[in-house]
Amino acid sequence: MQRRNFIRSSCNACLLLATGFLLPTLSGCGPGAYQVFNTDVKDDRLTIPVGTFAKGPLVLVRPKGWFYSIALRKKEDNTYTALLLKCTHQDNQLTTSPDGYSCSLHGSTYNKEGRVTKGPAERALKTYPVTIEADQLIIHTKA
Amino acid sequence: MKRILTVLAASTLTMTGIYAQQGQPYRTPAQKLVLTSEDSLNNNTAKNKTVISGYGSAFYQRDFNQHQATVSLDRLVLFVGHSFNEKISLFTELEVENAIIAGVNSDEPTSGRGSVAMEQAFLKFNLNARQYLVAGLFTPRIGITNENHLPVNFNGVERPIVEQLVIPTTWREIGVGLYGTLDRLPLNYSIAIMNGLNSANFHHDSGLGEGEGLGSNASANNLAITASAQYRISDFKFQLSGYMGGTVGLSKRSADSLNVGLQTGAFGTPLYLGEFDVQYAKNGFSAKALGTYIAYPDADRIYRAYAKSIGSGMYGAYLELAYDWLHTKGTPKQFITFARAEALDLNAQLPALQKQEDQLDGTLKQRHIIAGISYFPIPNVVIKADVRLAHTGEQNPALVINPPPNALPYKQNNQFLNIGFGYSF
Repeated sequence: MQRRNFIRSSCNACLLLATGFLLPTLSGCGPGAYQVFNTDVKDDRLTIPVGTFAKGPLVLVRPKGWFYSIALRKKEDNTYTALLLKCTHQDNQLTTSPDGYSCSLHGSTYNKEGRVTKGPAERALKTYPVTIEADQLIIHTKA
Repeated sequence: MKRILTVLAASTLTMTGIYAQQGQPYRTPAQKLVLTSEDSLNNNTAKNKTVISGYGSAFYQRDFNQHQATVSLDRLVLFVGHSFNEKISLFTELEVENAIIAGVNSDEPTSGRGSVAMEQAFLKFNLNARQYLVAGLFTPRIGITNENHLPVNFNGVERPIVEQLVIPTTWREIGVGLYGTLDRLPLNYSIAIMNGLNSANFHHDSGLGEGEGLGSNASANNLAITASAQYRISDFKFQLSGYMGGTVGLSKRSADSLNVGLQTGAFGTPLYLGEFDVQYAKNGFSAKALGTYIAYPDADRIYRAYAKSIGSGMYGAYLELAYDWLHTKGTPKQFITFARAEALDLNAQLPALQKQEDQLDGTLKQRHIIAGISYFPIPNVVIKADVRLAHTGEQNPALVINPPPNALPYKQNNQFLNIGFGYSF
């Protein structure tokens, strides 16, 4: 009886763990609140086609080999901001929220411009210059 | 001597001048190793760095039934974090509660009622931009406050009562956890395995709280699994979290010697916790609603083994509404008024054996109404004040150890005035 309980409990535990690992593969099950663009860094530049913004004003740029995304947002005046989604408190990855970005580690929040709206973070998010060349947006990561 | 002083002064001025020209103050080699949150000299891209930060809070509380007021520096927490590189980081939180812990031979006039504890201490391994692992002592994502327990993150001087008594915030255990976000959806998830609770320490009026391992020689014979999912839709954030864990850390021989049928092993004598919450925020309005239920099917065995009358069913729920009156002023200041209603019962379900033996404690069925203000002059500092109206069920005379007139007569209604401040940096 004990062995049966152990096996049953172990199976439940494995199922839960498997669920955790499989969740990432479930992307695409519904409409996203943002677009995702994976790209390489070449000569300290990230190149994103302007057409990526056809479905919305926010694109999460995921540079290959980086542990943080860049939030590239198109503003109403047709200019762009690029924010490194790295909490300035203790370097945790940030997630998007309706008002901006939030950190699950200690609860810091930032607005869409990257300014702190709730501590413990005190410094604004790092920004990168964005230029437009033909139909391409260039994020300059060296700056 | 005068010449030496002159040379020293000249050297200092020269050094200062050089660094002033570079736009940076002079820093010793030791200072260069430490980055405080105020320090904006580093450009947030360094490969390794050490961070010192923290939070704290203090309160005044008046208990109107007891005619007793209390003040305390209830929490002072020091964070020390270190990024070894972009992939591996260390996070620690060292907490001093209630200001003083002194030995009997100390010069301090009191031994104090404080404690020192590690609130978190874990290594974080970044897997990619969306996923990371933690390993060590950490606060799992259960409820709203357990993970984000800094005083700037909740309204009220006290944390929500439900998240103190039913979900025992700050609940931390040693384990390994995976945290992540889906690639193209605003869905965050977590799953963790950690040491289980110790049912021998459960107490009927504190629910699970006394059974936490807290990273201090906790039994790892029994384990627990917790998982959560958060999803954002428009201005709403939904969270579902759960916990399942064994509660008997004894060896099989020790458990059998108690002769009450305690199941041992990783998930023996299991306890289940489910929690759901919704948060909403828009245009200065915010709302939080949380509900949680704990099922402990073998609570009667714990009663027979340890004479701890723990409920087999416990629940808690609260609803909070708040408004920031400075939201439209374009200032980082916030002046928030809020009201919160809470309901909980740690004896919602009691096994038949405990009912027969008159163990039902009506005081564990509680209702609380809290109303107050939170003023943030900056996002990192908060000044709080609130009034809490508490109502409990009737006291069970069979459970009263110190009856009147030795103790004041029990009153089912009470009021508390709370004033406090908090900070985080």
